[in-house]
Amino acid sequence: MNALGLTGGVCQAVIVTAGAPVLTGVMRQVRAKLEGRAGQGIWQPWRDLRKQFRKQAITPDGTSELFRLAPLVLLATTFIATAAAPFVTTASAAGPLADLFAVVALLAMGTATLALAALDTGTAFGGMGASREMTILALVEPTLLVSVFALSVRAGSTNLAAIVTATVHDPVRVISPASLLAAVALGVVTLAETGRIPVDNPATHLELTMVHEAMILEYAGPDLALIELASSMRLVVFLGLLSSLFLPWGIATALTPLALAGGIAAFAVKVTVLGAALAAGEVFMAKIRLFRVPELLAGSFLLALLAVASSYFLTSPNP
Amino acid sequence: MNQTAFVELLNLACGALLVSAVLILWRRQLAAIIRWFTLQGLALTAIAAILAADARDARLGAVAAGVCVLRVVALPLLLRRALAQAKANGHPLRETSPLVNVTASLLAAAVLTLLAYAVSRPLVQLSPGSPAAHAIPVGLAVALIGFFALVTRRRAVSQLASFLLMDNGITAVGFLTTASTSLIMELGISLDVLFAAAVLQVLTSRLRDTFGDTDLDELRELHD
Amino acid sequence: MKTHVLLLAPVVVPLLGAVCFLLATLRPRLCWPLTAWVSPACAAVSLGAAIELAVTRSGHGPVTALGGLVRADSLSEFMLIVIGAVGLLATAASPAWLNAEIAARRASARAAAKHSALVQLFLAAMAAAVLAASLGLVWVAIEGTTIVTAFLVGQRKTRQAVEAAWKYVMICSTGIGLALLGLVVLNAAAAHAGVPAGLDWTRLVAAAPHLDQGVTRIAAALLLIGFGTKAGLAPLHAWLPDAHGQAPAPVSALMSGVLLSVAFYAILRVKVIADLALGPSYTRTLLVILALASLLLAASLLIRQRDYKRMLAYSSIEHMGLLALGAAAGGPLAVAAVLLHMLGHGLAKGSLFISAGRVLQLTGTHRIDQVRALASRAPLLAGCLGLGVLALLGFPPFSLFASELGIVRAGFAQGLGWVTTTALALVLMIAAMLLTHVARMLLGPAPAATEGELTAGAAPPRTGPERAGTATGIQNGGVATLAPPAIRTAETAKPGTELPASGLLPVIVALAACAVLGVYAGPLTTLLHAAAQAALTP
Repeated sequence: MNALGLTGGVCQAVIVTAGAPVLTGVMRQVRAKLEGRAGQGIWQPWRDLRKQFRKQAITPDGTSELFRLAPLVLLATTFIATAAAPFVTTASAAGPLADLFAVVALLAMGTATLALAALDTGTAFGGMGASREMTILALVEPTLLVSVFALSVRAGSTNLAAIVTATVHDPVRVISPASLLAAVALGVVTLAETGRIPVDNPATHLELTMVHEAMILEYAGPDLALIELASSMRLVVFLGLLSSLFLPWGIATALTPLALAGGIAAFAVKVTVLGAALAAGEVFMAKIRLFRVPELLAGSFLLALLAVASSYFLTSPNP
Repeated sequence: MNQTAFVELLNLACGALLVSAVLILWRRQLAAIIRWFTLQGLALTAIAAILAADARDARLGAVAAGVCVLRVVALPLLLRRALAQAKANGHPLRETSPLVNVTASLLAAAVLTLLAYAVSRPLVQLSPGSPAAHAIPVGLAVALIGFFALVTRRRAVSQLASFLLMDNGITAVGFLTTASTSLIMELGISLDVLFAAAVLQVLTSRLRDTFGDTDLDELRELHD
Repeated sequence: MKTHVLLLAPVVVPLLGAVCFLLATLRPRLCWPLTAWVSPACAAVSLGAAIELAVTRSGHGPVTALGGLVRADSLSEFMLIVIGAVGLLATAASPAWLNAEIAARRASARAAAKHSALVQLFLAAMAAAVLAASLGLVWVAIEGTTIVTAFLVGQRKTRQAVEAAWKYVMICSTGIGLALLGLVVLNAAAAHAGVPAGLDWTRLVAAAPHLDQGVTRIAAALLLIGFGTKAGLAPLHAWLPDAHGQAPAPVSALMSGVLLSVAFYAILRVKVIADLALGPSYTRTLLVILALASLLLAASLLIRQRDYKRMLAYSSIEHMGLLALGAAAGGPLAVAAVLLHMLGHGLAKGSLFISAGRVLQLTGTHRIDQVRALASRAPLLAGCLGLGVLALLGFPPFSLFASELGIVRAGFAQGLGWVTTTALALVLMIAAMLLTHVARMLLGPAPAATEGELTAGAAPPRTGPERAGTATGIQNGGVATLAPPAIRTAETAKPGTELPASGLLPVIVALAACAVLGVYAGPLTTLLHAAAQAALTP
């Protein structure tokens, strides 16, 4: 934990917390424009959050403490992951916590808690959403771990900060087969974990097609606001991981105001561009049926495994 | 060609070879399978061309050109013709659910890739410093994936495509092990593959005529 | 010069014959009766050239031609004689068989000309395989035989024939693909040891002690399994009963009689290299496994066999297993026995398939239980069939007795005691089953309802896509015979059709030759021993 990492961590936490709903707004606006609608403007998610914070908190009958704690746990874990992962700088605010397994475990913990809370409500839709979410999570976790592991082989360590540093120093590595395969696998993982098309439609109103939304049907008021905020932050974390690991240009390597500003700007731009591209892609894709989701995830697992194999066995140009 | 560029390009081509093999195993639409097969032919040509450029071997360059003509032009043409003859009612054909479902096939492909790496260790150790030798397991993995697909497919055209996939893998192993091979042998092997594919294409149309469609599950008449 | 002509004749002469038949397809009805006997003539010329070559080159070393592309040592010369002999047998019986098919309207003159052209190409490809100097060209020729015979197997265009052709091409090409992988790996090992590219057999043998052991092990396993597919050894044998059962009789005779042996010749060539590089125990273990698996498979599937052509095909698998056992034993006695077995089996199996083809034309059914009392209906045919089966089972005086005895003796001498005993037990089982089936077909009084059963059980003449198979099933079920629908009759039954006896003349000559060979190998002895030497030490 050095000064660079600390500064970076603080900047990241602030920017991501403030900017995540903005990213959601941008994505919705891009989608609206492509669909020929006027859209709600990029600040609408913040307006929604403000409205919800002012409402009264409601707890359904028969739920336990878990129901009220889950949004807090979700937000807390996402917040720590945001602060720990190296987005703006190549060093991390919480050195050992930037390890691949730690970050992935934090994110998984948030999801699992939310699923438990959904089960806690005792409703049919809650149970359905929880079981679907856990199925997808169970299939996606190995892929996530293996694809980042493929990148860690070359860097020699599973610490995300070390991987990003290694990539920054040797950008040619990005176009190797291991890196490209891992990128595709991570892309599919992002779609699955954040509940975007083709795995799950975030804008659906039909309960039987819901995965993530079904889990939070019973939430209202500040709890719902916290969950929405945490979900947006999760999306930013995943997109940020993609940009740091595969598009490392612009990351701050030194503790100068110029480098920091450049790092922040680069992070913001890259995440926005990736988000906009994702939203544009969603206009043209359809959600695949639930029983086809394991096929997609198995395919991405295979690609991740091939990435690991390539990174172990194909010669690197600078041995 | 400098060493870094050579290694990067070779690795990219081998990666493309492997990914196209996985996608042939994954996709169900027969037309998509043929498209990925054509792409794989391009990757194979690229491997041969890169090796020829690095060794400055004109003969290998000629072989690369031959590979292009055979596997990017001739064989996909035969496959498309077989598909056209096998079409029923003009609907684009899909592979009916294969013997092993897609998820399990993809996981089996992962296992086969690891197996290929394990088995080809002695081959890689023959020439330890060469980047081409390190990529041999990729070719072997493609051959094994092709063999697996051949055994588990139910439509004649996709079985034919899997057979050609296996052959692509074997050819890739050939290019990656040694850059030198006799031209007559290459010509003979290419002609054999071409004629075998042509024969199978004619047999596909005969299957359609006698059985009504090209589902290989219908081949139940001969058994003990 | 004369040697070169003799060397290339077995390839060039059938090619010329094929060209002649291809021209004949332009005006088939006119040309077919004229060209019918071109086929046996070409085969006779090839056999003559092979014998003359063996005689002139006896005592000399190998000879090469065409700039090193073609090479003939004693082993190749012996294989050329085997190809020539069985080829002559099959092509001499073809005109009678084809004319009977044309008369029964099951084939046209054009189809007959095409058939003969493909058979000539087939013979040329096999001769090229045994004459090639490089393993790569051997591979190309053997894959070429698959391609050429694909349409021969599927000639009848019925459901079963097309299914058999598809399975045949698919499985054989897959197996041969594995052999190609083995060749590629061997090429890598050879290049590492400094051999120039091209997989030339003599150069490989010279460099064999220096080949990397791990890589050669992989290559040898792949090559044995790959070429073993084409030779009908387990595990990739599933195409054999289908293809040999559905192909027309002369083609089955050629495929069972000599194509399997040519594929085994390739295995022998690979074995020389592998033994020099790895020591004899590796290939011995592999070949023993293949042999026992094939014998076990043949024995277990012959018990409930209902189709007599498939029965003969399974018997071919058994004999290939025996060949593998002999090759595993190793040593000059075993290899000489293996080579003699190739010749004897080719003659005997060829005769059997041709006789079976005549039985099919006579009775119109593939099934063993629907053929009864052949001895009283067609005594000459029944005699040929009976003698052929006795020859196949290794009864003296036929040569298979001597070769099987040689293989068994070599097996015990080389320490493969238990393996040989198991193999002998399985061979005895198979012999018993074959005798039972054939005896049921040949002996006994003619059953009273034969005519009725046959006409009721036959399918109406078929020209287009198969539809009457279902009808056959229903009709069969209607008559008292229990007819599981697994194998349906596919021929028009014209019981009592008179078939010319000339068709059986080659069979009688072949069986006589087999008997003579069993007693007195004569001039072949020196060639056999020289060939065995060539297959052991280069």
